[in-house]
Formats: sequence, C-alpha cells, structure tokens
Amino acid sequence: MNTSNKSLNLVDSANDFHKINSRETAISINNVEVSFSTPKGKFTAVKDISLDIKRGEIISLIGHSGCGKSTLMNTISGMVLPTSGEVIANDKVVKGPGPDRGIVFQNYSLLPWMSVYKNIFVAVDSVFKNKSTDEKHAIVNHYIEMVNLTSHKDKLPSQLSGGMKQRVAIARAFAINPSILLLDEPFGALDALTKGSMHIELLKLWNLDNRNKTIVMVTHDIEEAIFLSDKVVVMNNGPAATIKKIVDVNLERPRNKKAIAHDPEYIRIHDELLGLLFDKFSIED
Amino acid sequence: MNSFSLKNSISNALYFIGSMLVLIGLWQLVTILTKNEIPGPVATWQVFMELMSEPFYDRGPNDKGIGNQLVSSLIRVFSGFGAGSIVAIPLGLLMGSSKTGMKLLNPIVQILRPVSPLAWFPLGLLAFKAAEGATIFIIMITSLWPTLINTAFGVASIPDDHKNVGKAFGFSTWKYITKIMLPYSIPHIITGLRLSIGVAWMVIVAGEMLSGGVGIGFFVWDSWNALSLERILVAILIIGTVGLLLDKGFNALQNAFSYNQK
Repeated sequence: MNTSNKSLNLVDSANDFHKINSRETAISINNVEVSFSTPKGKFTAVKDISLDIKRGEIISLIGHSGCGKSTLMNTISGMVLPTSGEVIANDKVVKGPGPDRGIVFQNYSLLPWMSVYKNIFVAVDSVFKNKSTDEKHAIVNHYIEMVNLTSHKDKLPSQLSGGMKQRVAIARAFAINPSILLLDEPFGALDALTKGSMHIELLKLWNLDNRNKTIVMVTHDIEEAIFLSDKVVVMNNGPAATIKKIVDVNLERPRNKKAIAHDPEYIRIHDELLGLLFDKFSIED
Repeated sequence: MNSFSLKNSISNALYFIGSMLVLIGLWQLVTILTKNEIPGPVATWQVFMELMSEPFYDRGPNDKGIGNQLVSSLIRVFSGFGAGSIVAIPLGLLMGSSKTGMKLLNPIVQILRPVSPLAWFPLGLLAFKAAEGATIFIIMITSLWPTLINTAFGVASIPDDHKNVGKAFGFSTWKYITKIMLPYSIPHIITGLRLSIGVAWMVIVAGEMLSGGVGIGFFVWDSWNALSLERILVAILIIGTVGLLLDKGFNALQNAFSYNQK
C-alpha cells in the first residue's frame, strides 16, 4: 500500500472485526417480483430476484436506466412492497420503512424550510423517542461535524452546493444509527471530484462504526461500484429485470483510490463489468 | 446592491405618481365630456376634505362619519373572513390529504363556489334574524372557497420527496403535519387567504347595500339617495385604496412565509 497517502489510509484503516462479524445475513431477498398496475396493464419491474447480503457488506446494484435497480432497493427500504416473494431485513419480513434501515435518496430529499441542523434533528427526534433532548442535540452535532458541515449548520438547503446537500442526507441517514444503509444513486448528480471525496467520506463513516453497517447502493458508475463494494450485482435490462450476475470484488481494504486503478484485479473486474453492461464498445463493433 | 434597490424604489414611486396623473386626466376628460354631470377631481377633492375634517362624527343611526362607516365595514369583513378561514383551512387540509376526502368534497365545492355570495343573504337573515349577522354570514361564505381550494391544492401537491422523508424516518402523524404538511402548504394557504380577503372586500359593498345600517356600502347607497355623486366617488377611491392595502398586507405575509426566497 502506498504510504505517502496516509490520510486516505487513515480513513479506511484495516479492521479485522469486520471479517469476524461478516458471517450473519443482514438482508435476504427471496424470489421477489415487483409489478405495478398501469393504465396499459400490468408492468413488471423486477422478477425472480434472490439475493443474500451479509452484515457489514457493501453491495452495489448496477444496471442501465430503468432496469428496476431502484425498485429492488426500495423493497429493502419498504417504500415498495414486493408483489410476490419476501424481503427479510434484520430477521424481520419488511412490511414498510423502519428506523433500522436508513435511506439516502437520489435527490437528497431535504426539507427546504429547515436548516441543515433541523433537517437532521427532526429525523433523530422522530427515531430516538426515548433519548433526552441534550442527547439528541449531541448526536446531531456529532454527525454534522463528521461530514464537515459545522460551519454551515444553520444554512437552508437552497444555500448549499450539491455535494453539501448530499453530505447532509448522508449525515441524516447515519445519525439514526441504522444497521442497514440504503443509498439510491447517492452521488449521481455530483461532479467527478466531489464524487471522489464523497466516496472517502462514506468509507470513513462506515469504518468508524467498525464496518458493522450493511450498505446497499444503487449506481450506474462502474468505478464507484468497484471502489466501494464487496459485491456488484449486475441487473439485466428491464422490464421484468432479473439479476444477470453477481461479481465479487476481492480487493483488499483499505483501498486507495489512486493505487487501485493499477491493480490487475481491479482492471479485470472493470473489464468484466463493462462486458456485462455493454454489447458494443465502438461504432465498428 | 443597496443603491440599486434605492433607485428601483424611486423609479417605482415615480411610475405610481405618473399612473395617478393618468387616472386624474382621464377622469377630468370624462367630466368635461359629460358636461359636469360626473363630478371632476377638484370637486371630489373638496368633498373628500370635508368628509375627512370630521371622519368619526356620530349623529344617530343614519348619519355617521366616513371613518365610522369604514371601520364597521372592516370589522364585518374580518369577522366573516376569520370565521370562513377557521372553517376553510382545516377542511382544506383534510381534502388535500385524503383522496376520498377530495373526491367527496370537491363536487360540493365546485357547485357552491360559482354562486354569488349575495344569494345566501336571505338564508343568513333566516338563520341570524338580523341583517348584521346575515352580512357577516355572506362574507364568511365568500371567504370560504379560495382558501379551501388553495389549501387543498397545496396539501395535495406535497412532493413525494417530502413525504418520503416522513416515511423513511418514521414521523408520527403530528410530526408529519407540523414539520412537512403545514410548512409546505402555508404559502398556498396564504395565497388562498389573499384571494379571499380581496373578494370579501368586494362583496361587503354589495352586502351592505342590501343590509343597510352602517358601512361603506351603505354609505354609497345613502349618497346615491342624497344625489351626492362626489361622495360616491370619494367612497370608490377609499374602497379601492383599502382593498389595495389589504392585498399589500397579505402579499407581505406571503413573502414572509415563502421559504424559497430567503
């Protein structure tokens, strides 16, 4: 590992606890099908989906637009209920959203009339009903500091950049201390530079919690998926999308954003994913 | 920035003065064309000064100063408007938040909304056995519809993004209402209130012509009976100015509550 990049290593430090603890199943998706009734008849978004996700794993769902990857993730969050089959999260059948599963929405979903601080506080206040007000304020301040927004905490979302809004949304999701974190194209709207630093921030938060949180992320960015994940789930094109292949990412953590690009295994996985996602690679193909 | 806004308000003031001069010019033209049958600005101004010299005199039930007339109209409008809003806002919240509520109540609203509020006057008389109650009643009916429709529309248009926050973080119903539903719909509610007070102020003149007694509408009718067109014109200008001020007031309220502009 490149020792000159100490700061990056620090935020993604090696931790054996993760390996010991990664046996238990956090999420189990069994034979799930989701269909919606539309004026044109039944529309099946995804079908025949079975997937086990272990505690502390980071999983990416990748596929082309409209392949139902967000729908699949929403069956874990409980925002969408499967038409058939079931999703078990933390040993309970998912019947709706719950505070054990934190969600970071695609478009941040911050409440525009509340400051950064209040946006996080209102979530913390709603989930931790038994904690004192002082404890809740301490939690909110802690996570605002964690994502480096302390100097912006009294601003409204409209005064923040896209990257800052996303950090608020991530802080809000972490603040309720869910064991499962669901990210729906969390960095899709960010520029490449901001995206890169957000990846590090996400891994930092994950490390600080002994890598105990299970993270499921929807993305269409291959590099992002490999850098962050333990497994990449590639979806077929919809409608009625299924899982095309599950690609294991056996790259040692901590991963270094700069060094990883030259790792032969990274290049192999990158090629494999490209091959799975695209049929054509140039206009001559 | 500051000198720009100063410049802007100076130019706005100049345009306003210009606009008033155009109005006075047209008015004078009408006076000349009608050979003084319609009183001109100068004659009206004299009557206005006369009326304003003692606005709050009270010489019995049918002879009160213009200030008294105006105040009693305003009290009536705000009583009716207040009562109407107290009914319209909660009903609007209910209508907007439930599809069943919307489907059930919307046809009723659509049938009753186009009815001239004056048509309710006899029913008001029957219910309250007094013209005063009946006038407030028609103002209440008037203020009902814009507020109800705007509130319902506001609540019904809460984006899924906002609703999802409530779902994802397990908001209680109370938290949802106070932290998502009301903050989102307050600008819509205030728009409704602004429209309501505007229509209510228009309807009060007609209502008071029917009810008699005291009020700016009665003052107009009384002046017609006394054949004083100057007094009618003074009343029209006062009604217009008060209406404008009411609208400006609610506009300021609207700006204070619109979170996007801060």
